[in-house]
Amino acid sequence: MKKSIFTIVLACVALIASAQIKKPELMVVPSDVWCITNGYYTEVENMGMTTKVPNYKQALQENMGLKLAIAKLNDLMAERQFPLISLEQTIKNLEQRRMEDNMTVSKAGNELAESPLDEVARMAKCDIILELSWEMKDFGPKHSLAYILEGRDAYTGKSIGAASGTGAPSISADVDVLLEEAIVANMDNFNNRLMDHFQEMQDIGREIILDIKVFANNERGIDLESEFDGEELVDIIENWLQVNTVQGRFSRQYSSENVANFTQVRIPTYDERGRAIDANGFAKQLSKMLKQAPYNIPNKVLVKGLGRAVIILGEK
Amino acid sequence: MKKFLLPLLVAILCLPSCKSLRQKQANTDTNQYRYEIECAGNAIQGTYLVKVWTYSRNASVAENQCRKNAVHGVIFKGYGGGQGCVSQRPLANTPGIEDQYKTYFDNFFAPGGEFQKYASIMSGTTETVKVGKEYKVGVVVSVRKDDLRKALEAAGVIRKLNSGF
Repeated sequence: MKKSIFTIVLACVALIASAQIKKPELMVVPSDVWCITNGYYTEVENMGMTTKVPNYKQALQENMGLKLAIAKLNDLMAERQFPLISLEQTIKNLEQRRMEDNMTVSKAGNELAESPLDEVARMAKCDIILELSWEMKDFGPKHSLAYILEGRDAYTGKSIGAASGTGAPSISADVDVLLEEAIVANMDNFNNRLMDHFQEMQDIGREIILDIKVFANNERGIDLESEFDGEELVDIIENWLQVNTVQGRFSRQYSSENVANFTQVRIPTYDERGRAIDANGFAKQLSKMLKQAPYNIPNKVLVKGLGRAVIILGEK
Repeated sequence: MKKFLLPLLVAILCLPSCKSLRQKQANTDTNQYRYEIECAGNAIQGTYLVKVWTYSRNASVAENQCRKNAVHGVIFKGYGGGQGCVSQRPLANTPGIEDQYKTYFDNFFAPGGEFQKYASIMSGTTETVKVGKEYKVGVVVSVRKDDLRKALEAAGVIRKLNSGF
Protein backbone atom coordinates (compact mmCIF):
# COMPACT_ATOMS: atom_id res chain seq x y z
CA MET A 1 0.00 0.00 0.00
CA LYS A 2 2.75 2.40 1.07
CA LYS A 3 4.64 1.54 -2.07
CA SER A 4 1.75 2.45 -4.35
CA ILE A 5 1.10 5.75 -2.52
CA PHE A 6 4.78 6.60 -2.91
CA THR A 7 4.60 5.78 -6.64
CA ILE A 8 1.50 7.97 -7.11
CA VAL A 9 3.14 10.89 -5.24
CA LEU A 10 6.29 10.49 -7.32
CA ALA A 11 4.28 10.45 -10.55
CA CYS A 12 2.43 13.61 -9.49
CA VAL A 13 5.70 15.40 -8.70
CA ALA A 14 7.13 14.37 -12.08
CA LEU A 15 3.98 15.57 -13.84
CA ILE A 16 4.11 18.98 -12.13
CA ALA A 17 7.81 19.29 -12.89
CA SER A 18 7.38 18.44 -16.55
CA ALA A 19 4.44 20.85 -16.90
CA GLN A 20 6.76 23.74 -16.15
CA ILE A 21 8.81 25.29 -18.91
CA LYS A 22 12.53 25.33 -18.37
CA LYS A 23 13.77 28.74 -17.32
CA PRO A 24 15.56 30.53 -20.18
CA GLU A 25 19.24 31.11 -19.62
CA LEU A 26 20.81 34.50 -20.08
CA MET A 27 24.35 35.65 -20.65
CA VAL A 28 25.92 39.11 -20.88
CA VAL A 29 28.49 39.79 -23.58
CA PRO A 30 30.12 43.08 -24.55
CA SER A 31 28.80 44.24 -27.93
CA ASP A 32 30.97 44.09 -31.05
CA VAL A 33 31.10 47.86 -31.29
CA TRP A 34 32.29 48.19 -27.68
CA CYS A 35 34.98 45.52 -28.17
CA ILE A 36 36.26 47.06 -31.39
CA THR A 37 36.17 50.65 -30.08
CA ASN A 38 38.13 49.62 -27.03
CA GLY A 39 40.67 47.54 -28.95
CA TYR A 40 39.52 44.11 -27.80
CA TYR A 41 39.51 42.35 -31.14
CA THR A 42 41.58 40.19 -33.40
CA GLU A 43 41.87 40.60 -37.14
CA VAL A 44 40.99 37.59 -39.24
CA GLU A 45 41.71 37.17 -42.94
CA ASN A 46 38.62 35.81 -44.65
CA MET A 47 38.62 35.37 -48.46
CA GLY A 48 40.91 38.34 -48.95
CA MET A 49 39.03 40.59 -46.54
CA THR A 50 40.17 41.54 -43.06
CA THR A 51 37.46 41.16 -40.48
CA LYS A 52 37.58 42.35 -36.88
CA VAL A 53 36.40 39.67 -34.49
CA PRO A 54 35.67 40.54 -30.82
CA ASN A 55 38.09 39.09 -28.32
CA TYR A 56 35.95 38.50 -25.24
CA LYS A 57 38.74 36.88 -23.28
CA GLN A 58 41.02 39.88 -23.63
CA ALA A 59 38.18 42.25 -22.72
CA LEU A 60 37.40 40.30 -19.55
CA GLN A 61 41.05 40.11 -18.57
CA GLU A 62 41.84 43.76 -19.15
CA ASN A 63 38.71 45.82 -18.55
CA MET A 64 37.61 46.21 -14.95
CA GLY A 65 34.53 48.21 -15.99
CA LEU A 66 33.22 45.24 -17.97
CA LYS A 67 33.69 42.88 -15.03
CA LEU A 68 31.91 45.35 -12.78
CA ALA A 69 29.03 45.77 -15.23
CA ILE A 70 28.57 42.01 -15.60
CA ALA A 71 28.70 41.55 -11.82
CA LYS A 72 26.10 44.29 -11.32
CA LEU A 73 23.80 42.87 -14.00
CA ASN A 74 24.16 39.43 -12.45
CA ASP A 75 23.31 40.84 -9.05
CA LEU A 76 20.17 42.54 -10.37
CA MET A 77 19.05 39.53 -12.38
CA ALA A 78 19.69 37.14 -9.50
CA GLU A 79 17.42 39.32 -7.40
CA ARG A 80 14.68 38.53 -9.96
CA GLN A 81 15.61 34.81 -9.80
CA PHE A 82 17.45 34.90 -13.13
CA PRO A 83 21.16 34.36 -12.43
CA LEU A 84 23.26 34.84 -15.54
CA ILE A 85 25.59 32.35 -17.20
CA SER A 86 29.19 33.44 -16.75
CA LEU A 87 30.86 34.52 -20.00
CA GLU A 88 34.27 33.99 -18.45
CA GLN A 89 33.50 30.40 -17.47
CA THR A 90 31.97 29.71 -20.88
CA ILE A 91 35.14 30.90 -22.60
CA LYS A 92 37.21 28.61 -20.38
CA ASN A 93 34.97 25.67 -21.28
CA LEU A 94 35.17 26.63 -24.94
CA GLU A 95 38.95 26.62 -24.86
CA GLN A 96 38.86 23.22 -23.24
CA ARG A 97 36.57 21.93 -25.98
CA ARG A 98 38.75 23.43 -28.72
CA MET A 99 41.75 21.69 -27.20
CA GLU A 100 39.86 18.40 -27.22
CA ASP A 101 38.74 18.98 -30.83
CA ASN A 102 42.30 19.65 -31.90
CA MET A 103 43.40 16.43 -30.31
CA THR A 104 40.88 14.40 -32.30
CA VAL A 105 41.96 16.16 -35.52
CA SER A 106 39.53 17.38 -38.17
CA LYS A 107 37.66 14.17 -38.71
CA ALA A 108 35.17 15.57 -41.21
CA GLY A 109 36.58 19.01 -41.95
CA ASN A 110 33.49 20.51 -40.36
CA GLU A 111 32.06 23.44 -42.22
CA LEU A 112 29.97 24.93 -39.46
CA ALA A 113 30.30 28.63 -40.01
CA GLU A 114 29.84 30.09 -36.56
CA SER A 115 30.80 33.52 -35.36
CA PRO A 116 32.59 33.72 -31.98
CA LEU A 117 29.28 34.83 -30.46
CA ASP A 118 27.41 31.87 -31.96
CA GLU A 119 30.08 29.58 -30.65
CA VAL A 120 29.88 31.06 -27.15
CA ALA A 121 26.07 31.01 -27.20
CA ARG A 122 25.98 27.40 -28.34
CA MET A 123 28.53 26.37 -25.76
CA ALA A 124 26.68 28.17 -22.98
CA LYS A 125 23.34 26.91 -24.34
CA CYS A 126 21.90 30.28 -23.38
CA ASP A 127 18.57 31.37 -24.76
CA ILE A 128 19.07 35.10 -24.55
CA ILE A 129 22.20 37.15 -25.07
CA LEU A 130 22.41 40.53 -23.41
CA GLU A 131 24.70 42.78 -25.42
CA LEU A 132 26.22 45.59 -23.44
CA SER A 133 27.82 48.80 -24.68
CA TRP A 134 28.70 52.07 -23.04
CA GLU A 135 30.68 55.14 -23.92
CA MET A 136 31.79 58.22 -22.00
CA LYS A 137 30.82 61.52 -23.58
CA ASP A 138 32.43 64.82 -22.63
CA PHE A 139 30.56 68.12 -22.42
CA GLY A 140 33.26 70.61 -21.44
CA PRO A 141 34.36 69.75 -17.91
CA LYS A 142 31.38 67.43 -17.44
CA HIS A 143 31.05 63.94 -18.74
CA SER A 144 28.15 61.54 -18.98
CA LEU A 145 27.72 57.94 -19.89
CA ALA A 146 25.71 56.66 -22.86
CA TYR A 147 24.54 53.12 -22.19
CA ILE A 148 22.84 50.40 -24.25
CA LEU A 149 21.72 46.98 -23.07
CA GLU A 150 20.13 44.97 -25.85
CA GLY A 151 18.61 41.53 -25.47
CA ARG A 152 18.79 39.18 -28.44
CA ASP A 153 17.18 35.82 -28.87
CA ALA A 154 20.09 33.41 -29.30
CA TYR A 155 17.91 31.21 -31.50
CA THR A 156 17.02 33.72 -34.17
CA GLY A 157 19.24 36.70 -33.45
CA LYS A 158 16.15 38.87 -33.27
CA SER A 159 16.12 41.77 -30.83
CA ILE A 160 13.93 41.28 -27.79
CA GLY A 161 14.23 44.79 -26.54
CA ALA A 162 16.74 47.31 -25.35
CA ALA A 163 17.26 49.75 -22.55
CA SER A 164 19.34 52.75 -23.43
CA GLY A 165 19.97 56.32 -22.45
CA THR A 166 22.48 58.95 -21.49
CA GLY A 167 22.98 59.66 -17.81
CA ALA A 168 23.06 63.06 -16.15
CA PRO A 169 26.34 64.94 -16.75
CA SER A 170 28.76 64.89 -13.85
CA ILE A 171 32.12 66.52 -13.11
CA SER A 172 33.40 64.21 -10.42
CA ALA A 173 31.89 60.74 -10.94
CA ASP A 174 34.11 58.24 -12.71
CA VAL A 175 33.09 55.76 -15.39
CA ASP A 176 32.50 52.86 -12.99
CA VAL A 177 30.11 54.89 -10.82
CA LEU A 178 28.21 56.19 -13.85
CA LEU A 179 28.05 52.71 -15.36
CA GLU A 180 26.59 51.23 -12.18
CA GLU A 181 24.10 54.08 -12.00
CA ALA A 182 23.04 53.51 -15.62
CA ILE A 183 22.59 49.76 -15.09
CA VAL A 184 20.47 50.25 -11.97
CA ALA A 185 18.32 52.95 -13.60
CA ASN A 186 17.69 51.01 -16.81
CA MET A 187 17.23 47.48 -15.53
CA ASP A 188 13.50 47.67 -14.77
CA ASN A 189 12.69 48.81 -18.29
CA PHE A 190 14.80 46.04 -19.72
CA ASN A 191 13.15 43.44 -17.50
CA ASN A 192 9.73 44.63 -18.62
CA ARG A 193 10.68 43.87 -22.21
CA LEU A 194 12.14 40.55 -21.17
CA MET A 195 8.88 39.68 -19.46
CA ASP A 196 6.91 40.49 -22.62
CA HIS A 197 9.23 38.16 -24.56
CA PHE A 198 8.84 35.33 -22.03
CA GLN A 199 5.08 35.70 -22.18
CA GLU A 200 5.17 35.50 -25.97
CA MET A 201 7.46 32.45 -25.83
CA GLN A 202 5.10 30.69 -23.42
CA ASP A 203 2.11 31.54 -25.59
CA ILE A 204 3.39 30.83 -29.08
CA GLY A 205 6.70 28.93 -28.69
CA ARG A 206 10.28 29.61 -29.75
CA GLU A 207 11.05 31.02 -33.16
CA ILE A 208 13.47 29.24 -35.51
CA ILE A 209 14.43 29.11 -39.19
CA LEU A 210 14.25 25.84 -41.10
CA ASP A 211 15.77 25.29 -44.53
CA ILE A 212 15.20 22.21 -46.67
CA LYS A 213 17.71 21.51 -49.44
CA VAL A 214 18.32 18.70 -51.90
CA PHE A 215 21.60 16.96 -52.78
CA ALA A 216 22.12 17.46 -56.50
CA ASN A 217 21.93 14.28 -58.58
CA ASN A 218 21.04 12.13 -55.59
CA GLU A 219 20.62 8.43 -56.22
CA ARG A 220 16.85 8.35 -55.70
CA GLY A 221 16.25 11.41 -57.82
CA ILE A 222 14.34 13.05 -54.97
CA ASP A 223 13.51 16.73 -55.03
CA LEU A 224 10.89 18.87 -53.32
CA GLU A 225 8.48 18.39 -56.22
CA SER A 226 8.61 14.58 -55.99
CA GLU A 227 5.10 13.24 -55.48
CA PHE A 228 3.83 10.81 -52.86
CA ASP A 229 0.19 9.79 -53.25
CA GLY A 230 -0.29 12.71 -55.59
CA GLU A 231 1.09 15.22 -53.11
CA GLU A 232 4.35 17.12 -53.60
CA LEU A 233 7.05 16.62 -50.98
CA VAL A 234 7.17 20.32 -50.12
CA ASP A 235 3.45 20.23 -49.32
CA ILE A 236 3.92 17.12 -47.19
CA ILE A 237 6.61 18.97 -45.21
CA GLU A 238 4.36 22.00 -44.91
CA ASN A 239 1.52 19.84 -43.60
CA TRP A 240 3.88 18.32 -41.04
CA LEU A 241 4.91 21.82 -39.93
CA GLN A 242 1.27 22.83 -39.70
CA VAL A 243 0.68 20.04 -37.19
CA ASN A 244 3.93 20.24 -35.26
CA THR A 245 4.45 23.99 -34.84
CA VAL A 246 2.70 25.92 -32.09
CA GLN A 247 -0.70 27.03 -33.40
CA GLY A 248 0.53 26.14 -36.89
CA ARG A 249 2.72 29.25 -36.98
CA PHE A 250 5.35 29.36 -39.71
CA SER A 251 5.90 31.06 -42.99
CA ARG A 252 7.13 29.57 -46.29
CA GLN A 253 9.46 32.30 -47.47
CA TYR A 254 10.65 30.65 -50.68
CA SER A 255 10.41 27.29 -52.31
CA SER A 256 11.55 25.66 -55.51
CA GLU A 257 12.27 22.07 -56.51
CA ASN A 258 15.63 22.25 -54.73
CA VAL A 259 15.13 24.61 -51.80
CA ALA A 260 12.42 25.52 -49.30
CA ASN A 261 12.96 28.21 -46.67
CA PHE A 262 10.63 28.31 -43.69
CA THR A 263 10.91 31.31 -41.38
CA GLN A 264 9.14 32.37 -38.19
CA VAL A 265 8.68 28.72 -37.35
CA ARG A 266 7.33 28.60 -33.82
CA ILE A 267 8.43 25.37 -32.19
CA PRO A 268 7.23 24.05 -28.82
CA THR A 269 9.72 24.75 -26.02
CA TYR A 270 9.58 21.06 -25.03
CA ASP A 271 9.00 17.79 -26.79
CA GLU A 272 6.43 15.19 -25.68
CA ARG A 273 8.96 13.72 -23.23
CA GLY A 274 9.51 17.07 -21.55
CA ARG A 275 12.97 17.68 -22.99
CA ALA A 276 13.91 21.15 -24.18
CA ILE A 277 14.20 21.27 -27.95
CA ASP A 278 16.01 23.66 -30.22
CA ALA A 279 16.09 23.95 -34.01
CA ASN A 280 18.23 20.81 -34.23
CA GLY A 281 15.82 18.74 -32.13
CA PHE A 282 12.84 19.96 -34.12
CA ALA A 283 14.56 19.31 -37.46
CA LYS A 284 15.45 15.79 -36.32
CA GLN A 285 11.76 15.05 -35.74
CA LEU A 286 11.00 16.06 -39.32
CA SER A 287 14.05 14.16 -40.56
CA LYS A 288 12.80 11.03 -38.79
CA MET A 289 9.36 11.34 -40.38
CA LEU A 290 10.93 11.65 -43.86
CA LYS A 291 13.15 8.62 -43.32
CA GLN A 292 10.17 6.44 -42.44
CA ALA A 293 7.76 4.75 -44.83
CA PRO A 294 6.10 5.63 -47.11
CA TYR A 295 8.70 8.31 -47.94
CA ASN A 296 11.96 6.49 -47.07
CA ILE A 297 13.99 9.57 -47.97
CA PRO A 298 17.57 9.48 -46.73
CA ASN A 299 18.55 12.89 -45.34
CA LYS A 300 20.90 14.66 -43.00
CA VAL A 301 20.44 17.47 -40.52
CA LEU A 302 22.95 20.30 -40.28
CA VAL A 303 22.98 22.57 -37.26
CA LYS A 304 23.54 26.29 -37.68
CA GLY A 305 23.38 27.67 -34.15
CA LEU A 306 20.44 27.27 -31.81
CA GLY A 307 17.80 28.74 -34.05
CA ARG A 308 18.55 27.50 -37.51
CA ALA A 309 18.65 23.99 -38.96
CA VAL A 310 19.08 22.67 -42.47
CA ILE A 311 17.78 19.33 -43.70
CA ILE A 312 19.43 18.05 -46.87
CA LEU A 313 17.41 15.43 -48.73
CA GLY A 314 18.56 12.62 -50.97
CA GLU A 315 21.62 11.25 -49.23
CA LYS A 316 22.98 10.72 -45.76
CA MET B 1 -22.43 86.93 23.77
CA LYS B 2 -24.83 84.04 23.16
CA LYS B 3 -25.05 85.25 19.55
CA PHE B 4 -21.36 84.43 18.96
CA LEU B 5 -21.18 81.33 21.15
CA LEU B 6 -23.47 79.19 19.01
CA PRO B 7 -21.67 79.73 15.64
CA LEU B 8 -18.33 79.23 17.42
CA LEU B 9 -19.51 75.94 18.91
CA VAL B 10 -20.80 74.81 15.51
CA ALA B 11 -17.49 75.77 13.90
CA ILE B 12 -15.48 73.84 16.52
CA LEU B 13 -17.68 70.75 16.08
CA CYS B 14 -17.37 70.97 12.31
CA LEU B 15 -13.58 71.18 12.29
CA PRO B 16 -12.77 67.44 12.45
CA SER B 17 -15.42 66.55 9.89
CA CYS B 18 -14.12 69.27 7.55
CA LYS B 19 -10.64 67.83 7.88
CA SER B 20 -11.89 64.35 7.16
CA LEU B 21 -13.85 65.69 4.19
CA ARG B 22 -10.68 67.26 2.81
CA GLN B 23 -8.82 63.98 3.29
CA LYS B 24 -11.63 62.11 1.56
CA GLN B 25 -11.41 64.55 -1.34
CA ALA B 26 -7.63 64.03 -1.47
CA ASN B 27 -8.13 60.24 -1.65
CA THR B 28 -10.67 60.66 -4.45
CA ASP B 29 -8.15 62.83 -6.30
CA THR B 30 -5.55 60.07 -5.96
CA ASN B 31 -7.94 57.47 -7.37
CA GLN B 32 -8.67 59.79 -10.27
CA TYR B 33 -4.93 60.29 -10.88
CA ARG B 34 -5.22 64.00 -10.03
CA TYR B 35 -1.59 64.40 -9.16
CA GLU B 36 1.63 64.71 -11.09
CA ILE B 37 4.64 62.48 -10.75
CA GLU B 38 8.09 63.12 -12.21
CA CYS B 39 11.58 61.77 -11.82
CA ALA B 40 13.62 63.55 -9.17
CA GLY B 41 17.00 62.02 -9.93
CA ASN B 42 18.87 58.76 -9.85
CA ALA B 43 18.11 56.80 -6.72
CA ILE B 44 20.03 54.12 -4.92
CA GLN B 45 19.45 50.49 -5.93
CA GLY B 46 15.96 49.24 -5.13
CA THR B 47 14.32 52.68 -4.96
CA TYR B 48 12.84 55.35 -7.21
CA LEU B 49 13.25 59.00 -6.37
CA VAL B 50 10.15 60.86 -7.54
CA LYS B 51 8.70 64.30 -7.12
CA VAL B 52 4.94 64.27 -6.60
CA TRP B 53 2.71 67.31 -7.03
CA THR B 54 -0.57 67.04 -5.14
CA TYR B 55 -3.54 69.42 -5.36
CA SER B 56 -5.71 70.41 -2.39
CA ARG B 57 -7.45 73.38 -0.84
CA ASN B 58 -5.37 72.69 2.23
CA ALA B 59 -1.58 72.63 1.89
CA SER B 60 -1.03 70.27 4.83
CA VAL B 61 -3.51 67.70 3.44
CA ALA B 62 -1.71 67.87 0.10
CA GLU B 63 1.65 67.30 1.76
CA ASN B 64 0.34 64.29 3.67
CA GLN B 65 -1.17 62.86 0.50
CA CYS B 66 2.13 63.00 -1.41
CA ARG B 67 3.39 59.72 0.00
CA LYS B 68 0.25 57.89 -1.04
CA ASN B 69 0.32 59.53 -4.47
CA ALA B 70 3.98 58.57 -4.95
CA VAL B 71 3.24 54.87 -4.30
CA HIS B 72 0.06 55.05 -6.39
CA GLY B 73 2.01 56.68 -9.22
CA VAL B 74 4.77 54.07 -9.17
CA ILE B 75 2.19 51.26 -9.27
CA PHE B 76 -0.26 52.64 -11.81
CA LYS B 77 1.15 55.62 -13.63
CA GLY B 78 4.91 55.40 -14.13
CA TYR B 79 6.81 58.53 -15.04
CA GLY B 80 8.72 60.18 -17.83
CA GLY B 81 12.44 60.69 -18.03
CA GLY B 82 14.77 63.34 -19.39
CA GLN B 83 17.78 65.29 -18.16
CA GLY B 84 19.64 62.19 -17.09
CA CYS B 85 16.56 60.52 -15.65
CA VAL B 86 15.24 57.25 -17.02
CA SER B 87 11.50 56.93 -17.62
CA GLN B 88 9.80 54.03 -15.86
CA ARG B 89 6.73 52.02 -16.74
CA PRO B 90 4.18 51.43 -13.98
CA LEU B 91 4.68 48.26 -11.95
CA ALA B 92 1.12 47.16 -12.73
CA ASN B 93 0.65 47.90 -16.41
CA THR B 94 -2.27 45.62 -17.18
CA PRO B 95 -5.36 47.66 -18.05
CA GLY B 96 -8.13 47.44 -15.46
CA ILE B 97 -5.93 45.88 -12.77
CA GLU B 98 -6.91 48.49 -10.21
CA ASP B 99 -10.56 47.48 -10.51
CA GLN B 100 -9.73 43.80 -10.65
CA TYR B 101 -7.95 43.98 -7.28
CA LYS B 102 -10.14 46.70 -5.80
CA THR B 103 -10.41 45.17 -2.31
CA TYR B 104 -6.66 44.67 -2.11
CA PHE B 105 -5.91 48.23 -3.15
CA ASP B 106 -8.65 49.70 -0.92
CA ASN B 107 -6.92 48.11 2.07
CA PHE B 108 -3.45 48.89 0.74
CA PHE B 109 -4.18 52.62 0.37
CA ALA B 110 -6.45 52.94 3.43
CA PRO B 111 -5.38 55.51 6.08
CA GLY B 112 -2.42 53.90 7.86
CA GLY B 113 -2.35 51.20 5.17
CA GLU B 114 0.54 49.16 3.84
CA PHE B 115 1.53 51.82 1.30
CA GLN B 116 3.27 53.75 4.08
CA LYS B 117 5.95 51.08 4.32
CA TYR B 118 7.21 51.81 0.84
CA ALA B 119 7.57 55.60 0.77
CA SER B 120 9.56 58.17 2.69
CA ILE B 121 9.45 61.90 2.24
CA MET B 122 12.81 63.57 1.67
CA SER B 123 12.91 66.34 4.23
CA GLY B 124 13.35 69.93 3.10
CA THR B 125 12.03 69.27 -0.40
CA THR B 126 8.49 70.64 -0.05
CA GLU B 127 7.42 73.29 -2.56
CA THR B 128 4.03 74.98 -2.36
CA VAL B 129 2.41 76.88 -5.22
CA LYS B 130 -0.99 78.59 -5.02
CA VAL B 131 -3.04 77.74 -8.09
CA GLY B 132 -6.39 79.55 -8.11
CA LYS B 133 -8.29 78.53 -4.99
CA GLU B 134 -6.12 75.53 -4.19
CA TYR B 135 -2.55 74.60 -3.45
CA LYS B 136 -0.19 72.53 -5.51
CA VAL B 137 2.32 70.94 -3.18
CA GLY B 138 5.42 69.19 -4.49
CA VAL B 139 7.46 66.79 -2.37
CA VAL B 140 10.35 64.50 -3.25
CA VAL B 141 9.56 60.96 -2.15
CA SER B 142 11.78 57.88 -2.14
CA VAL B 143 9.74 54.80 -3.08
CA ARG B 144 11.15 51.36 -2.25
CA LYS B 145 10.09 49.90 -5.56
CA ASP B 146 11.80 46.51 -5.23
CA ASP B 147 10.00 45.79 -1.96
CA LEU B 148 6.78 47.19 -3.38
CA ARG B 149 7.09 44.97 -6.46
CA LYS B 150 7.72 41.91 -4.29
CA ALA B 151 4.62 42.69 -2.19
CA LEU B 152 2.50 43.00 -5.34
CA GLU B 153 3.97 39.78 -6.72
CA ALA B 154 3.23 37.97 -3.46
CA ALA B 155 -0.35 39.23 -3.58
CA GLY B 156 -0.67 37.95 -7.14
CA VAL B 157 -1.37 41.41 -8.50
CA ILE B 158 1.59 41.38 -10.88
CA ARG B 159 3.54 38.50 -12.37
CA LYS B 160 7.06 37.57 -11.37
CA LEU B 161 9.74 37.71 -14.05
CA ASN B 162 10.23 33.97 -13.67
CA SER B 163 6.56 33.03 -13.51
CA GLY B 164 5.62 30.18 -15.79
CA PHE B 165 9.11 28.66 -15.61
